[in-house]
Amino acid sequence: MDIASNFIDLNALDVTYLLLVGFIGGLVSGFIGSGGAFVLTPAMMSMGVPGIIAVASNMCHKFPKALVGAIKRAKYGQVDVKLGLVVGVSAEAGVLYGAHIQESIKRTFGDAGSNLYVSVAFVLVLGIVGSYVLRDALRMRHSAHTGEERVARLARWVQSVQIPGTMVYFKSLGARVSVLFTIPLGFATGMLAATIAVGGFIGVPGMHYALGASSLMSSATELVVAFVMGLGGTLKFAWSGMVDVRLAMIILAGSLFGIQLGAIGTTYVKPHMIKYVMGVIMVMVLLSRAIIIPVYLADLGFIGKLNPHLEGGLKNVSFIVLIGALAVGAAIIFSALWRGIRLHRHELEMAVVPGGAIQAETVVFPASPQLSPIGRYERFLVASDGSEYSAGAVREALRMAKKCGARVRVISVIAGGGAELYAMGEQLVAQELNNARQYLDGVARQAAASGVACETEVVQAGNINEEIVTQADRMQADLIIMGRRGRRGLARVMLGDATARVIGQAHCSVLVVPRASEITGRHFVIATDGSRFSDTAAAAAGSLAKLCGTPATVVSVHSPSHSERWRQEARHAVNRITSFLQREGVAAESQLLDGRSDEKIVEAAVARNADLIVVGSHGRTGLERMLLGSVAERVLNLTTCAVLVVRSS
Amino acid sequence: MVNNITVHKGSQFTRMLVYGVISLSLYFLLYLFEDEIQAFSSQGRWFFIAPVIIAFVFSFAHGNFTSYFWDTLGITAKK
Repeated sequence: MDIASNFIDLNALDVTYLLLVGFIGGLVSGFIGSGGAFVLTPAMMSMGVPGIIAVASNMCHKFPKALVGAIKRAKYGQVDVKLGLVVGVSAEAGVLYGAHIQESIKRTFGDAGSNLYVSVAFVLVLGIVGSYVLRDALRMRHSAHTGEERVARLARWVQSVQIPGTMVYFKSLGARVSVLFTIPLGFATGMLAATIAVGGFIGVPGMHYALGASSLMSSATELVVAFVMGLGGTLKFAWSGMVDVRLAMIILAGSLFGIQLGAIGTTYVKPHMIKYVMGVIMVMVLLSRAIIIPVYLADLGFIGKLNPHLEGGLKNVSFIVLIGALAVGAAIIFSALWRGIRLHRHELEMAVVPGGAIQAETVVFPASPQLSPIGRYERFLVASDGSEYSAGAVREALRMAKKCGARVRVISVIAGGGAELYAMGEQLVAQELNNARQYLDGVARQAAASGVACETEVVQAGNINEEIVTQADRMQADLIIMGRRGRRGLARVMLGDATARVIGQAHCSVLVVPRASEITGRHFVIATDGSRFSDTAAAAAGSLAKLCGTPATVVSVHSPSHSERWRQEARHAVNRITSFLQREGVAAESQLLDGRSDEKIVEAAVARNADLIVVGSHGRTGLERMLLGSVAERVLNLTTCAVLVVRSS
Repeated sequence: MVNNITVHKGSQFTRMLVYGVISLSLYFLLYLFEDEIQAFSSQGRWFFIAPVIIAFVFSFAHGNFTSYFWDTLGITAKK
C-alpha cells in the first residue's frame, strides 16, 4: 500500500474547517468527557482523507487532548486517576475485540454490512443509554435536587457486593468495588469506541449509574480512559504509518482551546447539565444514524433500491444532524458557561455593597423593635469570614437593621487561636488579620452611610462556632446572621459546617443568607410539623409576613412511615396556623405534602419563588444531631434562598 | 492585594506570551517542514514513536498557552 498517496494536500479552508470542528469537539469533550471524536472522522473524510487515515489521525489528536483535559479537571479535584486507568486498560481490550468484530463483519458482509452494524450499535446504545441520561437530567432539572446527586440503586448494589481478592478502593466512589464490575464496563467502553468512536457514551453513564461516581467525576475520569484508549490506538496505527500528524496537530490546535473552556465550564454548572448535554448529543446522534439506516438496508438488499436523490438526501441530512448534535451541545455549554460566569460575577459584586449604600428596600421591615411575639430583634450578631459566602449575610443584616433600628455587631472569626495560629507564621497571621480588619472597616463604613449602629471586631478562636455562640450570648443577640459555605456531601459530614453547628448550639434564632439571595418579600414558606418548635417558628414568621405584607404558605410534610394519628395532628396544626395568619391579615394558604420533608419544603419554596423559608429548631447537637439529622440543616443544604431557623427552647 | 492581583495577572500574560511564541514556532516549523515531518513520522514500525512525541510536545506547549489564554481573558474556573 502506498502510504504517501493517502495524505492529502491541505489548503487554508481545510485548516480553518479542522480548527473550528476541533474547537467545538474539544469544548464538548472537556465538558462531558468525550463526544467530540464522532464528528471529526467523518469531517476529515468529507475533505477527501481516506477512512483509515482519518481514524488514525483522530486517535493521535485524541490522546494529547484528553491528557490536557484530564490535567485541567484534576486541578479542580474532579478526576479519579485510579478508576480511569483501571477502566482504560480494560477498554483497550474492548477496542481490540471491537475492531476484530468490525473486520469480521466487513469481510463477510462488505462495507454496507459494516455500516449497518455501526448504525444499529448507535441506535441501540444511544437509544437506551441516551434517552435514560436525558430523562434523568430533565428529572433533576425540575426537582429541588439540582445541586445534589443520589447514588443510583444499581450502583448501591454494585458497591455492596464483596468478592474477595477483587476489591479496589476508588476515591470517586468513596467505596471499594470489585474489578469484576469495572472490567466489563471498560470492555464495553472500548468496544463502543472501536465501533462508533465515542466510548464515553457508555463509559460516563456506566461510571455514574453502575459504579456510583458523580457525573462530574465520571465525565472527568472518562478523559483518563480516553487518554489510555487514544494512546493505545495511536501506537497501533502509527506502527503501520497511518497517522497524518499534520491533521492531528491542526485539530489539536483548536481542540485544546475548546477542552480548556469545556473544563472551566464544568465548575459553573450544576451536575444535571453534564447529563443534559450528553443526553441531547446522544439522542441527536442516534437520530442522525437512524436516518441513514434505509440506505444500508437497500445496499444489502433487505429493501428495494432507493432513488439516488433520496439516498443522497438521507446521507446529507444524516451528516447535518451529526454536525448539529455537536453544535447544539456546544451551544448549551456556551450558554451554561455564560450564565454561570454572569451569576458568579453578580455574586462577587454583591460581596461588596457599593458606596456604603443599602439599596432601596424591597421589604419594609418594621420600625418597631417588637418584630415577633417570641422576642425582640434589637441586636444582631453577624458572623463573617470576609469571603463572598458571607456577603449576603452582611448585606441583609444591614438592610434589616436599618428598618428595625437594631444594633449590629459584625465579627470576623479567624480560625486557630494561640499556638496554632502562630504556627502559620507571623507574616501569614498578620496578613490574615490585616485583610479581616480591612474588610470590617469597609462594612463599618457601609453601616455608617446607612445610619446603622455598627461595631466590628476581628476575633481569633480555635473553635469558630463556639466563639460565635459565645459572642452572641455575651451581647444577648436576638438574631445571629450568617452566610453559608458551599461544602456538600462527605466533606460536610467529616469537616462539619460552622453554620450548622451554630444553629445547633445557639440560644437565639439564626438567619442563614446564601451569598446571592435577597429577602425581597416575594413569598415566605413556613414549615411546620405540628410541634411547639414549629409553632414558634410559624408565629415569628407570621408576624414578619404581616409586617412585610408578604404572602405565606404553611407547609407540612408527611412521611409514609407516619401514622394516621400523626397526620391528623399535622393537618390540625397546619389549619390552626393558617387560620391564625389569616386572622392577622396575612394572605396565607396551607399545603400538605407527602415525601421527604426537606425536599418537599424546598420544592414548595421553588414553586412559589419564595425568598425566605422559616423552620423551627430545638437545638440538637453532637451525636444526637449526627444520628437524627435536622430538617433545618438539610433544608439549608438544598435551598438557595434565605432560611430563618427560629429557636424556641 | 490590588498590587498582588496586578502582578499575578502580569505574570499570567507573560507566560501566555512565552507559551504562545513556543506554540506558534512549533506550528510554523510543522508548516515549514511539512513534507519531511510527514514522511518521517509515517514510516511505520519503530518510527511510531515520532507522532507520539510530536503530540506530547505540542500538547505541552499549546496546552499551557490555551490555559493561560483563557486565564488572561478572565475566563477562569469558579473557586
